[in-house]
Amino acid sequence: MRTVVFGPLIRLVPVGLIALSIQRVVFAAHPVHDVKLQFVLALVVAAGAGGGADRGAVAGFVLGLLYDASGNTPLGLMALAYGVAGMTAGYVHTFTPDPQWWLASIFAFFGAAVGEAAIPVAEVITGESGWVTRDIALTVPIVAAFCALMCPLLMPVGRWMMGVRRKKWKAMLE
Amino acid sequence: MFLSLSRRRVLLLVVLTCMLLITLDKRGNPVIDRARGVFARVLQPVDTATKAISLPIERVWYGISNYDNVQSERDALRDQLEHMKGNDVEARSAILEYRELLKVNQLASKFQYDTVAAQVVGESPSNFQNTVEINVGSRQGVAVGMPVTDGAGLVGRITKVFPTRSIVLLITDPEFSISAQVLSTPDEGTAAPPTESTTLSGIPISDLTSTTTTTTLPPTTTTVATADTGQSTTSSTPANTTTTTLLAVVRETGTLQGQGADKPLWLRFVDTTSSVTSVKVGAIVDTAGGNNGLAPQGIPIGVITNIERQTGSSSALVEVTPNASLRRLNFVAVVLYVPNQDAVGK
Repeated sequence: MRTVVFGPLIRLVPVGLIALSIQRVVFAAHPVHDVKLQFVLALVVAAGAGGGADRGAVAGFVLGLLYDASGNTPLGLMALAYGVAGMTAGYVHTFTPDPQWWLASIFAFFGAAVGEAAIPVAEVITGESGWVTRDIALTVPIVAAFCALMCPLLMPVGRWMMGVRRKKWKAMLE
Repeated sequence: MFLSLSRRRVLLLVVLTCMLLITLDKRGNPVIDRARGVFARVLQPVDTATKAISLPIERVWYGISNYDNVQSERDALRDQLEHMKGNDVEARSAILEYRELLKVNQLASKFQYDTVAAQVVGESPSNFQNTVEINVGSRQGVAVGMPVTDGAGLVGRITKVFPTRSIVLLITDPEFSISAQVLSTPDEGTAAPPTESTTLSGIPISDLTSTTTTTTLPPTTTTVATADTGQSTTSSTPANTTTTTLLAVVRETGTLQGQGADKPLWLRFVDTTSSVTSVKVGAIVDTAGGNNGLAPQGIPIGVITNIERQTGSSSALVEVTPNASLRRLNFVAVVLYVPNQDAVGK
């Protein structure tokens, strides 16, 4: 029980700190078509695609909290959006327990799209001004495509972070 | 923990915890504020390490990809610098006169407040916040609500303060709004008013044309006795004519609001007819000040670049382009002006 509780958290926090720092220093400073690519979100959806909906939701919650703590958003807002993103990406496990890289990428795309679109919606709901404007039409697909591309690379990190071991299929011996 | 719980319970727990945290943070919780401060300190060395790794790679890449542009950009900047030197001398003398007038009239302005120089150390990682992080905090006397400027004009205001860092909400963020004023002379600008223009008090602008006062002094004769020779020198000055031109300045007050990165700001006037009448493209917009103002009076914000008349309404949409180049912020100054906390809350 103890390893289940503390194991993922011990890995999640330092990996999250590094990912957040990369996001702040590298990706925030180099937008693509004025859109800041979301490295932390890519890690969240990769963790979801690698570990399932519940693990994805927890990874999204913890990494989102770190994101909130470093920025100007109310604590819990990004955690909520990223939790939804991780959960959506994790639904790939309802199809197959060990998804192929392309299938994981497709779910990562949808997870990231839902997560990125959820931010302005959550901002509006919580009384922040929010940006539910036409800009989302450009921001969401670019961020989602980046996360889908990064998913196969980040999935091993996501699995390790969440303490998931990849299933090894063995042929049945007679 | 989550393995022992069902999927639905995990999700419910996540959502409820988020809601609780958002509510606590929105209401203002000292524990959360302290936790943010601690987290900022923890993140600082990680950011520094990431910068140390990424910066050389970034510089090599820029060196290769932008080599040709650097030279032409340098030449253009040199030309611009020469041009600005001329403007600077003119502006300095205008500022001195302005300060003198403020002193004489006992008016408050931005010049009576100290500033703290700061460097921008980070941008918002999100696509939905327009903020930057600066390297000064509560230890340097920075507080929430203080205005931040760069050499060109208002950049934003402080929204979160940590001991050695602060977060600045940029003026382009939709959450940002500030009381602003438009100062213009009747002949300024390019757009002609569609109808007879009036000021707030209803006086037609055509009646407020410049007044020229001409004063002619009689010729004077001065006699100066020199001590060593005992002779006296007499010099006479011809009749002196001084011309003073008093320009009628139209002042309109309104609220300026951001619309997102790289988008012009929107100005809404207290008197909705103002935008259609007296305000013109090219007019200068600066902070209005006042007891409930978020910034002292006179900090330049930008220039009116477009006025869109709205059909079926007396008001118009006034677009203001900020003076400050928000994409390339490096050094800024925090004006140590503590605004009314009620105004900050708004």
